[in-house]
Amino acid sequence: MTLTNELNESTQEERVLFTIVHPLDDVQEQKVDTEHLGPMQMTRTVRICLFALRGYLLLMFGLLGFRVLQLAGVIRA
Amino acid sequence: MTLNHSATENTLVSTSSQPIRVSNKWAAHALTFLMVFGPGLIVMEADNDAGAVSTYVQAGAQYGMHLLWLLLLLLPICYFVQEMVVRLGIATGQGHAAMIYRRFGAWWGRFSLADLLLLNFLTLVTEFAAIALVLGKLDVDPRFGVPVAAVALTALVLTGSYRRWERIVVFLCLLDLSWFAIAFRVHPGARAFLQHTIVPSLPANGLTGGWLFLVIAIVGTTIAPWQLFFQQSCVADKRLRFSDLRWARLDTFIGAVFTIMVAGCMMLAGNAAFQRGWDFSDPAQMAVQLGGVFGPFLKNAILLLMINAAVLGTTTISLSSAWAYGEVRGWPHSLQKPLREAPGFYAIYALCVMAAAGLVLIPRAPLQLIILSVQVLAGLMLPSAIIFLQLLLNDKEVLGERFANKCWNNIVNWTIVIVLFVLSVLLAAQVAVPRLFPNS
Repeated sequence: MTLTNELNESTQEERVLFTIVHPLDDVQEQKVDTEHLGPMQMTRTVRICLFALRGYLLLMFGLLGFRVLQLAGVIRA
Repeated sequence: MTLNHSATENTLVSTSSQPIRVSNKWAAHALTFLMVFGPGLIVMEADNDAGAVSTYVQAGAQYGMHLLWLLLLLLPICYFVQEMVVRLGIATGQGHAAMIYRRFGAWWGRFSLADLLLLNFLTLVTEFAAIALVLGKLDVDPRFGVPVAAVALTALVLTGSYRRWERIVVFLCLLDLSWFAIAFRVHPGARAFLQHTIVPSLPANGLTGGWLFLVIAIVGTTIAPWQLFFQQSCVADKRLRFSDLRWARLDTFIGAVFTIMVAGCMMLAGNAAFQRGWDFSDPAQMAVQLGGVFGPFLKNAILLLMINAAVLGTTTISLSSAWAYGEVRGWPHSLQKPLREAPGFYAIYALCVMAAAGLVLIPRAPLQLIILSVQVLAGLMLPSAIIFLQLLLNDKEVLGERFANKCWNNIVNWTIVIVLFVLSVLLAAQVAVPRLFPNS
């Protein structure tokens, strides 16, 4: 079925018809090929911020792990 | 409806097996919306899971209607965060975990996945703990009820049909309409309700550490990291088209409004206990107490809705784990695939559900420790997840001008990121070091 127009109008039976197709039944769209793009291009500032975020997360995970072990009675306060 | 806007904007060939034809433009729009409808409502309403019921009811029980305004404030935040995920999912057809892995490298990809899987698993334990708690109040042996729930939740996804799963889960979401009847039954004053919803107010004893903690907990409950991963994967699995974006946005907006209203109703149920000066340790106990005043129907309704909340949370959170793991490992990962075509995907889902259910049944399992870990991990993960989302939404190499953030998007979203980051750090610090803030 060839669909023209924004609302898939077809002129069968001399009147406008709108054809509605469920996304799962429709032709699969061609999306951006993210597999071959590689890592994102980032500015120096963004890189530094992400590095700082990595440090923060590792520190907080360490703190949480310590606190959980403390509450579980493995480490004494 | 094929409203595709790819390179071949106006000419597409449909292979639809059963297209619907209507002659009315508005009917066409309504039918298209109904076909796209689902992921937005599900991701929002499933966030009102067992933990959320507990938090909202506790907020009502401790502060009456004094925190209703916060929910109204959270409505646009919920919507804007999830709308970004919808755009990313529709533009790329990929899940969030896959995008982080590909665009930010293996370290961040593995870290995000490991963090998500751990946090999701601990959250699942709290869902099954709630199911066990409620079953106990309904005189059903949890040793029987919890395994039955786990098996039913696994069977729910094994049909090889995304649509079947979605219809069942949307039906479960709509059961939450019952919260409106409960809120009406407990007679909140309409004037006070409107006033507290629109005008921010503080409780009688002013700002305390406990109040701040509850505010942060509500924010953390309303916007959870798994939601980002879930909705993007769900949109990709449903194969939403470029032209579906506006309907997916509407779906997300309706979901956000519905969820916030249901959360408000939960607070009103808690407010009924607040007005009577009752003290309770969990929502199930409150339901029993309310049943003594308003009748057994109200008690049973709240208890069953708590199970419904846990069931919704379990299926969506387990799916977000299974989708994310499948995306990163490159395994087939779709609800449209039968078990034999995506064994790894279904195995991860089943493993998450069964292991969490099994842990709850172990006598003297450290549930309090798990709940605490969930709160802190969520607090740690949310800001970083949203920062990646924000960076991805500015990735014009992937999204192009059409789907990438506009200037106003960035202003709104960075503001949300900063607010969430500050609140999450405070929550993590408060839970990890309880004596950090004075309680009064």
